[in-house]
Amino acid sequence: MFQTRATSTPRQAGDLAIVGVILVLLSFGITMVHSASSVVSATRFGDPFYFSKRQLIWAIIGVLCMFWFSRIDYHVWRKHAPKLAVASFAMLVLVLIVGVNRGGSKAWLGIGSLGIQPSEFAKLGLVVFLAHLLAESADRMHSFWRGFVPPMGLALVAVGLIMLEPDLGQSVVIMGTTVIMLFAAGTRMSHLGALFGVGMLGFGGLVAVAPYRMDRIAAFIDPWKYPLGKGYQIIQSLYALGSGGILGLGLGNSRQKFLYLPEPQTDFIFSIIGEELGLLGGICVLLLFAVLVWRGIRTAIYAPDEFGTLLGVGITGMIAVQVLINIGVVTGSIPATGITLPFISYGGSSLTLLLSGVGILLNISKQAGVVR
Amino acid sequence: MRVTRGMMRRRLVVLLMALFAAILALVGRLFFVQVLQSGWLAGLAKSSWDRTVPLAGIRGSILDSAGQPLTYTATAPTIVAVPSQIKDKPGTARKLAPILNMSEASVLRQISQRELMVYIRPGGRQMSEAKANQIRALGLPGIYLTEDGKRAYPYGDLAAQVLGITGYENVGLTGLEKQYNSVLTGQKGGITFYAKANGELIPGEGQSVVEPTDGDDIKTTINLQVQQYVEREIEQAVAEYNPDSVTAIVENPQTGAIVAMANYPTFNPADWRNAPPSTYNRNLAIWQTFEPGSTFKIVTLSAALQENKVNLQDSFYDPGYYEVAGHRIRCWKAGGHGSESFLQVVENSCNPGFIALGERLGKESLFSYIRNFGFGQKTGIDLPGEGNGILFKLNRVGPLELATTAFGQGVSVTPIQQVMAVGAVANGGKLMKPYVVSEILNHDTGQVVEETKPTVVRQVISSATAAQVRSALESVVANGSGGKAYRDGYRIAGKTGTAQVAKNGHYESGHYIVSFIGMAPANQPKLVAYIAIDNPHPKHGVVFGGVIAAPIVGNILDDALHEMGVQPSPEGLPKKYRYPEVPPVTVPNFQGLTLKQAQNFALQNSANLKVDIQGQGQVVVAQSPAGGSKVEPGSVIRLYLGDGKPSGN
Repeated sequence: MFQTRATSTPRQAGDLAIVGVILVLLSFGITMVHSASSVVSATRFGDPFYFSKRQLIWAIIGVLCMFWFSRIDYHVWRKHAPKLAVASFAMLVLVLIVGVNRGGSKAWLGIGSLGIQPSEFAKLGLVVFLAHLLAESADRMHSFWRGFVPPMGLALVAVGLIMLEPDLGQSVVIMGTTVIMLFAAGTRMSHLGALFGVGMLGFGGLVAVAPYRMDRIAAFIDPWKYPLGKGYQIIQSLYALGSGGILGLGLGNSRQKFLYLPEPQTDFIFSIIGEELGLLGGICVLLLFAVLVWRGIRTAIYAPDEFGTLLGVGITGMIAVQVLINIGVVTGSIPATGITLPFISYGGSSLTLLLSGVGILLNISKQAGVVR
Repeated sequence: MRVTRGMMRRRLVVLLMALFAAILALVGRLFFVQVLQSGWLAGLAKSSWDRTVPLAGIRGSILDSAGQPLTYTATAPTIVAVPSQIKDKPGTARKLAPILNMSEASVLRQISQRELMVYIRPGGRQMSEAKANQIRALGLPGIYLTEDGKRAYPYGDLAAQVLGITGYENVGLTGLEKQYNSVLTGQKGGITFYAKANGELIPGEGQSVVEPTDGDDIKTTINLQVQQYVEREIEQAVAEYNPDSVTAIVENPQTGAIVAMANYPTFNPADWRNAPPSTYNRNLAIWQTFEPGSTFKIVTLSAALQENKVNLQDSFYDPGYYEVAGHRIRCWKAGGHGSESFLQVVENSCNPGFIALGERLGKESLFSYIRNFGFGQKTGIDLPGEGNGILFKLNRVGPLELATTAFGQGVSVTPIQQVMAVGAVANGGKLMKPYVVSEILNHDTGQVVEETKPTVVRQVISSATAAQVRSALESVVANGSGGKAYRDGYRIAGKTGTAQVAKNGHYESGHYIVSFIGMAPANQPKLVAYIAIDNPHPKHGVVFGGVIAAPIVGNILDDALHEMGVQPSPEGLPKKYRYPEVPPVTVPNFQGLTLKQAQNFALQNSANLKVDIQGQGQVVVAQSPAGGSKVEPGSVIRLYLGDGKPSGN
């Protein structure tokens, strides 16, 4: 009975590597949120711990969610998948009507002093529903209209709603996650290729309609041309990374956090990591994410059924896409798209939803068995 | 066809590899930014964090040849406030206002500006040490004390164009201030601190103070006393003759050092912004170009003697004109000088005699001497804004051009060129490069940093020729047209010049530049002095040209040599007892001329004669002694005015 590592009987703890990586990322994240935000929070709120305290509380709530979700049989979510999808879309519509505008984007639903981001919730809801949908349609995946179009259409509707807020970052993550799930589900490569072509045409159309969108691309190609405009954040981020060098200035010694880099505790926290801990610190963070991606995909491979596989890929893919986009933007590798660095950036909604997702992933890993 | 688990797994492995590849690509990108671009980015970042409050070093002084300051920077403590570092602005204003004798509101408004640094005006600039100490004792954050300086001119407008002016942030704009700006300017220091993006001090980073370095002093060759004599003489000439402009230079011919240089009109460098730009933008002594007139004959004479084309004892006949290529060029003296020796040609400044010398030399030879004497090119003096002068192009020189050039017309030269050329005659034939700055000194220790060595440009004539020319010029002063420059015992040698000013290709009627260039003592000159008076308007009616400039140079040389401790020598040409007897001066005929015509006529005539005007009217109706009679130099001629008809001239 114990000759193989993975057995058909459910394990109690789930994948301990995932738990370990998550806990390390979270503690590291709280530390870095504190280091990055202390100047901003002291300036703005007179309390250097303003953000780190809140991040600690959210991390505890998130970890509780994670362990709670890891104990719920993931098949439960399949039953509730349609309801989750409806709730997700309802929230996305609601936020457009009664949402709170923060930083130029109507992305928040305010409940008292608490704010939640429907797009975060919708991301996870959509992943669950797409896993369900794709598992259902396993025998018609080769079909364009019956296999490819329904999940992609759904994702596009969600993206369309989110773009009304507007929130480019979340939209890109949803598209990326959807493409990964479709790929894993076995959709035809030609369909993905067609999607890519249509996407390029659509982008061209958007630029033609509103040429200001081209600025973002121009600022990406040459941020130094717009040192005080669109290129400002990227330049400040590169200053931080460049100052850090190989070994970094040491934890807490960032200079760019002194109001040079806007919102250093959220989207650009990786710049501060690179400045204080250097290339080595940055590589460690990427390594942790690589381990997480590996364990996540592994979980998906060994999942007991197709729904489990697709759900695992969806959650892992969502995390991976966010990491790649965030660090891509921070290092000036891709055009600016606002998205947080999972488990590290400050943000309650993002953290609890991501940790809930990891909880689901852990439950799948518990049920993972040997190749059947 | 159903999607199989196997296909899903293969795709998942591909997906995993793709994600790993993407992560690896980010590692590569990080390596590029954090290792390869690190130095560049870190430098840019650092300069974006740095805030530097500049501290200026004190500008060096300009000293005279004895080391007395002609201009220096007077400094006083000044507040530099860094608004972003002042947390408690009202409190700071409250504490500063009474010390600065300013209203609290004014201080508060100034320290609340969104600037990196502000000066608190007017109370915070150039304060007393006592106030500065009071402020230091307060230890207010964001309030710094630095030294701020202003140029001071202890001698007012003395040598204004030589010293030049400084503008914004004490940058030299003209004169020595410009030429030696980088030497005089100190190195800026500064208080550097790391700032947040909003300019506030990053706590715990401290700040580094780089003390500024003072600029070096420059010691000039200007002799304060001589400069003052020269300026006094210019002032008197201006009062007497009300000219358009006056230029004077005194040079040490042995080294090329400029001992004095002055111009009128002048200005006060402390208040140059209220002066006309032409006064502070040009140094006439090196910038102005004009026809030199007779002073240029020294060059012709030197060339002819060096080339053995003349013996001063040879005789020459001047019928009053010289015929060149079918044109009669008239001597300045109507009727001519008659029969005379070439020494007398020089003494009389006889134009036909010099035309003859020019013809004997030929154009190649004469023009080569002119160039070798430094005309037609900049002398290279260490002052900005020097003029070139204009010479005829050799291929354009015909007999007529050769003739006029020989007596100083048709060429255009600067005063400094004339001084350096005559300096070569004075020092035994060496053309020197003129200079004003002899040493660069450390402002604080007085140690010599750099020294100017006299530079010989070239040997133009032999020492023997130079001695011959000097003795002829001594005789000009002792016996000839330069008589007014004679000072007993100082052996002054020199030459008058009266040049008409050309404008738009024609000589302007009644516009003369009257000049004299002299040196002393003639056997071994210590000084060369030059003065040019542009467009004199004699107050007292009619004045002979020889009476205007020569005595000024006489006075300057007399006072300067006395100042320099040069003993009078008994070896010089005695003025009145030399054989042959002092040649009498022929009185020109003024009768029938209008007063204006008489003025112009006299200006052109370098004879040493005084004029006394009697009566009222427009026309000279009678004169005593009569025209054509011979009198001793220095005699007075009475002109009687009346309402006769002008007979014209």
